[in-house]
Amino acid sequence: MKTVKADVLIVGASMASSAAAKRLVDAGLEVVALERRTLPREKVCSGILSPRGHRFLVENFGPLPDETLHEPKSCRGVTFHFPSMISIPMDFTGGPTPHLYRKYSDHWAITRSGVIVHDNTTFTGLEDTGRYINVRARREGAEVLYTVRFVIGADGPKSAVTKALYPGYRKGIPWFMVGQKFQKIIECPLDSDYFHFWFHPGLGHYTWSHERNNQQIVGVGFPSGGNLHKAHANVERYLEEKHGVRLEPAERLEGLAQNFGPSLINRYVFGKGNVLITGQAAGFFNMLAEGMSCALHSGAIAGESISEAVRRNRPVQEIYRALIASEVKRCTDQWNPLRIIFGNPHEADFKASFGKLSRKEKLTVIRELADFLKIYAPYRWGRQILSQSLVRMLTGEYSSGRWL
Amino acid sequence: MRDGDRKNILMTEYNINKEKPAPENSIWKTVGAQTNPSRWDGARWSSFVDHISARGVTVHAGRADTSVFVSDAGGLALGMPHGVVRPSSASDISEVLKAAQEYEVPVTTRGGGLTTEGESVAFGGLLLDMSSMNRVLRIDPDGMTVRTEAGIYWHQLAEVLRRDGLDYLSAPLNLTSSVGGTLGVGGIDINSPRLGCSADQCLSLKVVTPTGEIVECSTDHNPDLLERVLLGYGQFGVITEATLKVRPFTPIIMKYFYYSSLRTAVEDLQFIANEDAADYSGILTIMDKAINLLVAFDSDEREKGFNLRWRRHLRGHGEINFGLRMAGYYLTHPWRLREASYLIGRRLTLFPEFSRPEYMHDNKIVDRTVVFSRAVWKFWGGSKMVIPDLAASEEKFIEAVERGNEVCRKYFRHYTLYCVGIKLSGRRERYEMSCIPPDARGMAYGCEFEPMLRDTDYSRDYLQSFKNEIYDIGVDMGLSYYRFGGMMKGYVRKAFGDELVDKHREMKRKADPAMILNRDVIF
Repeated sequence: MKTVKADVLIVGASMASSAAAKRLVDAGLEVVALERRTLPREKVCSGILSPRGHRFLVENFGPLPDETLHEPKSCRGVTFHFPSMISIPMDFTGGPTPHLYRKYSDHWAITRSGVIVHDNTTFTGLEDTGRYINVRARREGAEVLYTVRFVIGADGPKSAVTKALYPGYRKGIPWFMVGQKFQKIIECPLDSDYFHFWFHPGLGHYTWSHERNNQQIVGVGFPSGGNLHKAHANVERYLEEKHGVRLEPAERLEGLAQNFGPSLINRYVFGKGNVLITGQAAGFFNMLAEGMSCALHSGAIAGESISEAVRRNRPVQEIYRALIASEVKRCTDQWNPLRIIFGNPHEADFKASFGKLSRKEKLTVIRELADFLKIYAPYRWGRQILSQSLVRMLTGEYSSGRWL
Repeated sequence: MRDGDRKNILMTEYNINKEKPAPENSIWKTVGAQTNPSRWDGARWSSFVDHISARGVTVHAGRADTSVFVSDAGGLALGMPHGVVRPSSASDISEVLKAAQEYEVPVTTRGGGLTTEGESVAFGGLLLDMSSMNRVLRIDPDGMTVRTEAGIYWHQLAEVLRRDGLDYLSAPLNLTSSVGGTLGVGGIDINSPRLGCSADQCLSLKVVTPTGEIVECSTDHNPDLLERVLLGYGQFGVITEATLKVRPFTPIIMKYFYYSSLRTAVEDLQFIANEDAADYSGILTIMDKAINLLVAFDSDEREKGFNLRWRRHLRGHGEINFGLRMAGYYLTHPWRLREASYLIGRRLTLFPEFSRPEYMHDNKIVDRTVVFSRAVWKFWGGSKMVIPDLAASEEKFIEAVERGNEVCRKYFRHYTLYCVGIKLSGRRERYEMSCIPPDARGMAYGCEFEPMLRDTDYSRDYLQSFKNEIYDIGVDMGLSYYRFGGMMKGYVRKAFGDELVDKHREMKRKADPAMILNRDVIF
């Protein structure tokens, strides 16, 4: 069996991995990243990036080459739509952000990080001996053994590393399906400078649309087990009737299971011993352009924690859990009603745009938001979000006791 | 574009290590620059090493040799050189730089390594550890000058000068920053309101230019080079020797005034600076409602003069008076007790450091460099140090301090502001694109915002957000910064504008065709 020795093994070669790799390579550690598929690879994603995520990419990997972008190259912000046909456009603070083509932006970032990437290599399991970790992987049918000091699991929502550490974890959290179809535009009055989102309980749990490379993407999210085509047809019909969006039949379809939930209720999973879980695998998942931003930042913190652990001879979990608190705050604040009302946790000023509405419109929006949230009632998140919000208000932190 | 083409273009784009301009049409400029540089790929490294080794320069490339330089005092920027050279002469450096131009190997200079933004961290390439050039060459007590190698720490220099009853004019308040490094960025002391920044006490320099020429420069001889190298952030040459002005050494008498309003304290600091009322002055906050304005004097006469003429104009309180006021405040705000205990703790531990018996003689501090440096490291040192700052003209300074204070409050429970004036020596070319704000006339002011990190755990990106938010104030108000290099260089263009930056970049390109010397610092 082929054996590879390194300081750190990162599972995944996406945004969180690139950020972690950058910190570790800079610190002079030997790092290998595993990727299941052949790079560059496609990835289901809106490609919409928050200003903070954009800043991170530029600061760490340099200005993005044009090839890493879709058309339109940038996005000005997000527009919220409500059933009453009230629309609230909000610009990102600090100007437009790039519209990423994940296939190439991710490949660009992981290449720029300087890490050694083993693609076509699937993680199959790990064993922590206490002194080092043996990671088993499979490359083109042959088994490969990696012997390393640290492992970072940055392998997305259905993380194999998380499963290896916590076999029952996947069954314990709700899963959502998101699907998007790509359709040529006949007519589309929706402003192509914005990412559009519908707070409409009749459409789905997460309904969006935006333009990409002269096609319109219409996407919808719903609990796993639902029917994508049915849900999508419903949204398409709605957009045509209400917004005058006319599209040709879909040319392509993408779908993905998402672990939406842990970040809302502060139930993250960060790993044990010398194995760290980060990015979406850890539960960092935010809608509306924040997803990549929290993946990048949490990944960077995982990398930083390992380099600190090595330099200062401290237990890595202790450092990781201390450093990650700021990112937890950042991500979970975005769902915290107290922070939304009294602070401004998002990078587009919802409150300012909301303030421009008439009194009557404001009331309508609040009522429709409440109606929309009802479709999430079966998950019983409300009480947990409120209790976490109170803890956050009183202590300034989210409780780390809820993390796995 | 077809995917195949895209991939080919990308692969060439990804792999380039040389700087490339940001794409036109671009939204990227608003964000800044790559402030955590990619590691240099090591192309032609071994030929380079062979080349300089054959000329008698030793390159240390073992992991133990390079890994001690993985970071700087800031502890946030990480990078490893391919090898380290400890030069023993200007000609060693000349050989290194000539070869570096030919083989396109990045060279990073490092003195005491007391940068906080990774300016002295090598992201691959060669690191010049200048601390090997640390001899004092000549002291001229008649002309009141000293000639020294530039890798010397200010503290070592002070030790040597003391033997002749002399002192340098001004230097950073810590023991191990180097003369060369300080001249390259400015250098601020609490006597800067009278004596200017450390770079301004320099009379002449020996510099190795990025192409390897060894050149002596002063205001009379090669003045252009002098003006480029002083406050030049290491872009225009390696300083190997410097001639500095010196003055007689004096113990100092220190006094404190306490304020509960930042604005009042800053106004009084500016008053003292404008009136030349004290030999040393600065503000050090414990909290934003417990502010310490310190003044010090070189002689009893100066102190007497201060007491007679200026003391009564200051609105600060003495310690007992202020203590009583604070006691009153906390008795009526008992829920703030934790704050009070922090304050008392600080009073009991920090202040005695400034009057330790071993450094006191006749109620005077005998060596302020030692006393201040010890205190700085003991109370503000830690594995990470984050010190964003704002440098402003007199008019804009108070607003800058107050806005920066609001940002600190948002991010940290405990932090210190350190404010000091900097006297300018006329309109020097060296001030262009430096920490001296363009609109400052006669006097500039700087404020450092320093969270008390000690060994608390904050992620680098949390700290970066904090720094960014402070620096955004600078962009908004048209200020400058002391630390705009390294991890903060995204602000260089925002603060100074494209025209000025391009002008300096053009000069840099001329002086350093392969862009190898300290290339990741500001451009």
